[in-house]
Amino acid sequence: MAGTPPHTAAALPVVEAAALAAAFVTALRRAGLSCSPDRAVRLAEALRLVPPSDVESLYWASRVVLVSTREQLPAFDAVFAAVFRGGFDPTVPPRKAAAPAASPAAVPGEPRTRPSPAEDRAPGRAPAHPPTAPAIASTGPDAAGDRNTPGREAVLAMASTEERLHGMNFARLTEAEVLEIRRLASRLLVATPTRLSRRTRKSTHSSARLDVRATVRAARRSGSDTTLLLYARRREQRRKLVMLCDVSGSMEPYARIFVSLLQGAVATAGAEAFVFSTRLTRLTRQLALRDPDEALARAAVAAPDWAGGTRIGDSFRHFLDEHGRRGLARGAVVVIFSDGWAQEDPDQVTVQMARLRRLAHRIIWVNPRKAAPGYRPLAGGMAAALPYCDAFVSGHSYTALAEVAAAIRGDGRSSLKGRGNQCR
Amino acid sequence: MSTPSRSGAEEDVQRRIPDVATLISALDSSDYLADVGLATALFLAVRLPQPILLEGEAGVGKTEAAKALAGLLDTPLYRLQCYEGIDAGEALYEWNHQRQMLGIRLAEVRDAAVTETDLFGPEYLLRRPLLQAIEHPGPRPAVLLLDEIDRADAEFEAFTFELLAEAAVTIPELGTIRATHPPIVILTSNRTRDLHDALTRRCLYHWIDYPGPERIAEIVRRRVPASSGPLALQAAAVITKLRTLDLAKPPGISEAIDWVSALAVLGIDRIDATTADRTLGSIVKNRDDLELVGARGADWLVAGTDG
Repeated sequence: MAGTPPHTAAALPVVEAAALAAAFVTALRRAGLSCSPDRAVRLAEALRLVPPSDVESLYWASRVVLVSTREQLPAFDAVFAAVFRGGFDPTVPPRKAAAPAASPAAVPGEPRTRPSPAEDRAPGRAPAHPPTAPAIASTGPDAAGDRNTPGREAVLAMASTEERLHGMNFARLTEAEVLEIRRLASRLLVATPTRLSRRTRKSTHSSARLDVRATVRAARRSGSDTTLLLYARRREQRRKLVMLCDVSGSMEPYARIFVSLLQGAVATAGAEAFVFSTRLTRLTRQLALRDPDEALARAAVAAPDWAGGTRIGDSFRHFLDEHGRRGLARGAVVVIFSDGWAQEDPDQVTVQMARLRRLAHRIIWVNPRKAAPGYRPLAGGMAAALPYCDAFVSGHSYTALAEVAAAIRGDGRSSLKGRGNQCR
Repeated sequence: MSTPSRSGAEEDVQRRIPDVATLISALDSSDYLADVGLATALFLAVRLPQPILLEGEAGVGKTEAAKALAGLLDTPLYRLQCYEGIDAGEALYEWNHQRQMLGIRLAEVRDAAVTETDLFGPEYLLRRPLLQAIEHPGPRPAVLLLDEIDRADAEFEAFTFELLAEAAVTIPELGTIRATHPPIVILTSNRTRDLHDALTRRCLYHWIDYPGPERIAEIVRRRVPASSGPLALQAAAVITKLRTLDLAKPPGISEAIDWVSALAVLGIDRIDATTADRTLGSIVKNRDDLELVGARGADWLVAGTDG
């Protein structure tokens, strides 16, 4: 349909559909969406089945084929709008008159990836990029403009690294630090309490359940009547480990080490990691890389509000609504790294901690300020949260962080146990 | 799995679902209201054919979509509810060992000879949903619903996808069973964990948005025949209003249907503050939420919904 007048779009030849699909997928890839080339093939087939007689049907067909998570939707919409709604849809006035002019009709499809000259939208950036860059540059400011949560991840990936990194600078970790963090993280892994899984394992104890399937199989093998009874017992499985780290201004001195610990826990113990200050960001994916420096750099890009203000209750609510209730926090060990200084009403923290209490197996609060002489948990958020915690540890040094492992294991239970149940 | 040999859907299916508009009206006549986005998604899933991953808030009709699709294709729906620790024995097949032993005992009593081939024949096979969907004889492919795939382990996810890509199962004792009509696969997920890239790469994807009050009312009217016109619309308006509150569990379409059914059973044909207060339990199912709604008051809830 590229290069043809809009009203003839219904009769889209297959060849052109292929070119269009390939070009659009390329545009999406430049905008940071992961679109493998086989998706272009699939889109071409889809367009054969659903003739794009109007922008709406083209939109739905390509969205169904090319998008694979909800988080990609805002970025997809932005690219789609830039590519198709800008220069093509007769009902939407073109945002940039330059768009159709800049794309000669001679090359079907391809010009669509370059909706407008780079200098139109991102002045100053154009010289740095070869002519392939405009799709990125054009969607970046558009999509980053609306700061709604789902769009953030995909959209920020488009921004240049230097631009975002200045907020949170993880200097390269030294060799010793890496080792220390790894050691701590593996201790966390061993410490995580277990629960009975639905899966079974062979057992010799007759107290376990008789495994008829295995017994018959064994009897068949020996060709005789059943002589040996085989049993299965439920396997033990580690509970999920969920870590929430406060990266607001007041926690800045500790954030680097704590986030490194999060990285270690994600990479070695399969933990789930979130950071929050004014809002919550899930970092599990970014931190899952084996190389800690690379992982931390990605995390720094993904979470936009390092060293900002703190909204503990609101971040927890977001965590519970979007992730916790759906299963992440159920029966899990939740570790919270925060000093409990919040800008909001402590009641909000109380409400959300109560909700978390009802889902989680154990809640451990790590507060580096606890180590200060004469510290009392009086900060609004901290005082509100404490009744719901199973353990309260300091974690201001490597040695103290080792306490976290003990707290996760739940030995030497602190006096806090049981207090949560009195409230509400 | 993907590209070269794909031949599109079978002719019979093509005839039943020639284009998106037909699918919308066919879904409509089986009382499932789909917007153009969902219809395009289902259409492509059937016609490409390719598995589709449906996501959306609880109660927007992910499972219903699979049921409606199976209904209009006049083909069985095989549903596999995933959970942590689910394995091949529960998803694919299992030998009925108790019955085999009984077979041996009976043969002994009757002084008959049993061979292994007898014991590992199809009649001793317990077919689970995946095998049932693959074995489905036609004439049209079955619909296989893998519900809440995110609850199963990652290994199970990979296993399932290998199986579906091959559309064949090898049972050592019986041989390979190949699907004559590879099933139409619909997956749903509640986003409790990130699904594996390999899975998302092979699937189409659709996020089902929460519908507006008019559409909810329309859906409720379809589902609860007893609901008179204004009641459904009123209930939909109240539900939409409730969703503006910051509830832990916002009511969905299924709650709207439950509520209107409850009202119909009670013989109420108009929602006012008293009736809303009495039946609130069918839409708000969490104590914190009840307190929140209680603080606003039932009058607020029904105000302006008389339209």
